[in-house]
Amino acid sequence: MDLGYYAPLGAEALLTGVALLVVLLGLFVKNKNLGGYLSLIGLGIAMWMVASAKLGTTFFFDTMYVDGFSQFFKAVFLAVSILVVIASLSRYKNHPGQDEYYALLLFATVGMMVVASAIDLITLFVGFELASLSTYALAAFDKEKKNLEAAMKYFIFGAASSALLLFGFSLLYGMTGSTRIADIAAISMADFGPATLVALIFVIAGFAFKMALVPFHMWAPDTYEGSPTLVSALLAAGSKKMGFAAAFRIILVALMALRLEWYVAFAILAAVTMTLGNVVAVWQTNVRRMLAYSSVAQAGYIAIAFVVIGAVSGSTNPDATYISQLGLAGGLLQILGHALMKTGAFIAAGVVGYMVLREGKENPDDIENYAGLGQRAPITAFCMLIFLFALAGIPPTAGFVGKFVLFNAAYDAGLLWLVLLAILNSALSLYYYLRVIKYMYVYKPAGGRISEPKGYVLALLLATIAVVGIGVHPEPFIGWAMQAAAALLP
Amino acid sequence: MYSDYAYLIVGLPVLAFVLTIFLGWHLPKGGGFFTVLATFGGFILSYGIFKEIYPNEILHQSMHWFANFNVGILIDPLALVMLLMVTFVCTLIHTYALGYMDGDHGMARYFAEAGLFTASMLGLIFSDNILQLFIFWELVGLCSYLLIGFWYRKPSAAAAAKKAFLVTRVGDVMFLAAIVLLYNNLASLNLTLPPGEYLLQFKVIYQNVAAIPPDQLTYIALLFFGGAVGKSGQFPLHVWLPDAMEGPTTVSAMIHAATMVTAGVYLVARLFPLFYAAPSALLIVAYVGGFTALFAATMGLTAFDIKRVLAFSTVSQLGYMMLALGAGAVVGAASVGVSIFHLIGHSFLKALLFLCAGSVIHAVNTNDMREMGGVGKYMKYTAMTMAAGGLALAGFPLTTGFFSKDEILVVAWEYGSATTDFIPYILGILGALLTAFYTFRLWFVTFTGEPRSDYHKHESPWIMLGPLMVLAFFALFFGLGAQEPFYHYLESNFEHYDVNFEALAAVGQHHIEEGEAAHEPFIIKILPIIVGVGGILLAILFYYPRFRKLDTRKFTTENDPIRRILLKGYYQHEIYTAWFAETVVYGIALLSNMVDIKIVDATLNKISETTVAFGGSLRKAQTGIIQNYILAIIFGVVVLVVLIKLWLEVSI
Repeated sequence: MDLGYYAPLGAEALLTGVALLVVLLGLFVKNKNLGGYLSLIGLGIAMWMVASAKLGTTFFFDTMYVDGFSQFFKAVFLAVSILVVIASLSRYKNHPGQDEYYALLLFATVGMMVVASAIDLITLFVGFELASLSTYALAAFDKEKKNLEAAMKYFIFGAASSALLLFGFSLLYGMTGSTRIADIAAISMADFGPATLVALIFVIAGFAFKMALVPFHMWAPDTYEGSPTLVSALLAAGSKKMGFAAAFRIILVALMALRLEWYVAFAILAAVTMTLGNVVAVWQTNVRRMLAYSSVAQAGYIAIAFVVIGAVSGSTNPDATYISQLGLAGGLLQILGHALMKTGAFIAAGVVGYMVLREGKENPDDIENYAGLGQRAPITAFCMLIFLFALAGIPPTAGFVGKFVLFNAAYDAGLLWLVLLAILNSALSLYYYLRVIKYMYVYKPAGGRISEPKGYVLALLLATIAVVGIGVHPEPFIGWAMQAAAALLP
Repeated sequence: MYSDYAYLIVGLPVLAFVLTIFLGWHLPKGGGFFTVLATFGGFILSYGIFKEIYPNEILHQSMHWFANFNVGILIDPLALVMLLMVTFVCTLIHTYALGYMDGDHGMARYFAEAGLFTASMLGLIFSDNILQLFIFWELVGLCSYLLIGFWYRKPSAAAAAKKAFLVTRVGDVMFLAAIVLLYNNLASLNLTLPPGEYLLQFKVIYQNVAAIPPDQLTYIALLFFGGAVGKSGQFPLHVWLPDAMEGPTTVSAMIHAATMVTAGVYLVARLFPLFYAAPSALLIVAYVGGFTALFAATMGLTAFDIKRVLAFSTVSQLGYMMLALGAGAVVGAASVGVSIFHLIGHSFLKALLFLCAGSVIHAVNTNDMREMGGVGKYMKYTAMTMAAGGLALAGFPLTTGFFSKDEILVVAWEYGSATTDFIPYILGILGALLTAFYTFRLWFVTFTGEPRSDYHKHESPWIMLGPLMVLAFFALFFGLGAQEPFYHYLESNFEHYDVNFEALAAVGQHHIEEGEAAHEPFIIKILPIIVGVGGILLAILFYYPRFRKLDTRKFTTENDPIRRILLKGYYQHEIYTAWFAETVVYGIALLSNMVDIKIVDATLNKISETTVAFGGSLRKAQTGIIQNYILAIIFGVVVLVVLIKLWLEVSI
């Protein structure tokens, strides 16, 4: 066997190895923080491997494929995991079960990376479940009552969705006789049976659970609120993006023949999701719940990418290819930006939660706890300010770049109504983002200055630099996303 | 070697800003030495670059930013002399401020903001494209706002800062509109630019001016001039500048005399080829400049606040610079050299005058000249250096101000003899007479005679006097040594871009005069000397106690309408603030407010109430019961199937 041939998948292999090593060492080594540092080093090397991997090779009898698209998503997943691990180094410093924590986190990351590369339904499902099962366990990691409830809801909802997804997959297999995406695409172009629509909707519903599109989002607010904060960050920023990675591959490539059907489905889902997410977010007084609904709304924006591609492909527009690539690139940029800023925002919420629990108060995520944060924890408050502005899409931040490219593509595709709706929604979202900022900077502090944990601060600063960096100098990132989009939609 | 570090010219003051704002509170003198050293470092770098590229090269560095915009550094003769002047004068003023601001609680804030200002001003100068220039332009405006309102607890300072910000905003909006219009016109030319060139770069603008339709060019030039009018305090947007004197005197010297206010002149000079192709815009530049020169000088005659006199004088001198540029329709690119030479000379002498005034205020603790008198007895050095600045401002022969103003008047004369339009010249020469008069009125009233109030009688410390001496030297002798090479160097500025002035003249339908107008009569040659010296003599007769022969009371009475108009500053306050702002604008504001509240807000409130209520009811769907959630999935699937089916039925 030629190991060099498998080098592009080295990152997955390495992380699996590190995860096993972390569990093993946990049995023998007293210094529990070792696992965290090992994971961090592993993730760092994996990031380098992903960045330098040779593109355009298939593996394992055409079930895995390494291309620009997969590497884009892998980089996003790894970036999120790195930020979460850095913050966890402070959070779980003396926790007895931290070897399991880091191992689960790494397994979840590997699962997501497999999904990004999968070009076969079975492989994709395995990756999907690996990531899901690891995060079910992570969601209950602190073993508090709230955790357990969150994890339970997440698990039951996830199981139901997996059932739908698997049912959809089996229908696809039944109609085409293959589990390979390329085969399904080829056969479905020729002929498709009457069960088509059912298969499509089941697949969409299965993915929409991960993407948290309305009405498949209901687990998200409860779970993001109830899980340990850093796990919420991983779920909102990482695992949710896995849903998009899978959906882009299956729906845009395998089911391109059903363009008309999914175009309508996603137009409805996108419009309903962003509106509902924002409108309900306005009501939230719990910051993590607000972030969860904002996350739902952001998923609505990202789903515009599907609508753009559905609207232009097959049309007579001479720029059809370019516009669909631009739409996908916009979605990807929004995914990248949202992953960074949402991780950052949840980590900032983590600092506040940490602070409140130390003071022995209840309801760590209540917005009242953010009063005067600008004076109590200046770095956290400032980073949170940047993330909130980025989420609202204010330049020069990553949030602006993503929305700009995405809305631009939607406009070019003739989806003026959707662009207007999205912009109105963005304006509405400012309301609840600014409210947090008002609490942080206008209201009187609720207590004295607090010491911000080092790991959290480092993760926050890294995320802030990335969010602002992308906003100030977007050109290379736009180029990168366009490259990834061109890999999927040649 | 220095050229490789050109970015540090802005980088160092930015670093100083960061250091002082975070660490200044813990350091002696608010960490002001960071700002001084950084600015001086900028001067060294600029001087090194000067040595490297003088006289035949320019320095251009650029990198891609996003879409079709770039960030870049362009140091050509025009930018270079400005860089040298700003770093030099700012270093001296920051040094002086170490003494002047000593003991102020906000010292760290002062030096941080001063550092940021210096950085923005330098960035404005060496921008290689108009968009970047605009960004720095706005930053400079922001710093100006912050520094005018430095003593923000004083209501008059806060009000002055607001006024400056709002009035210059009028100009800034026009500037932005000009950029948009220029961009649209350039974009519609469908140029294929070589890599590394961008639409809004000055080089590209210069080379494509001729292709833009003439009427569009005129609009663009006038809008740019609108921006310049706001920043450089030209009529009618000059009202903010005298009020800006509420800031510390060093701020007035640095921002509102020597550097920032010259940005407008610099903008017009920078875009001179564009203006040149739009002669009607240049005509307006000349008229506004000439009128401002005279108008502000008359107001300088009656002001009692020592800094306000200098502020009016600044407005007036900026008018001269505009006048020189406006005359460029006849003399061509030479007018840029003439105007910028006056700009540089004026920066030295006006910084000097302000700092001297600051030195006096520092000792006497009042701005009102009526409470001074006889200060010269106790502050010999200040009095002498201020006299040097005054002589230069008045245009006394062989001082810097003499050469530069003389040249502007010559240019104005040439303009007059070529177009038979002598109005700018007459405005200029009358202004020159008044300039000499009010400058020495200020000097005599302040430094001679008997003390008219009980003030502290002591000279300022050496850290303040040192910069005064250096500036006095330059105010007196800079013109003598630098004049000829300066004109020559600046005239070559546009040759680096192969600007074809004849083609541009053809666009603007006018001709360059080939020197035949230069034979002005003898009387015109010596008239500037006569008015300069004459103005000083008049001031001696009126205000120097030892030779007092004339009394103002003989010429005017309390009820003299001219005197009343001047004392009231042409009723500008009544017109701008009381009538225009408080009646017209306030009326419109009230009306808009009503429309806003009754119609716009009411509608929006209704919408937002509905939205929020909608959200509130939707929220109830989130029951927290997992069975309901699963039901939602099934519901979602069914609804999607039905909707897609319906849609396909309808659309096929």
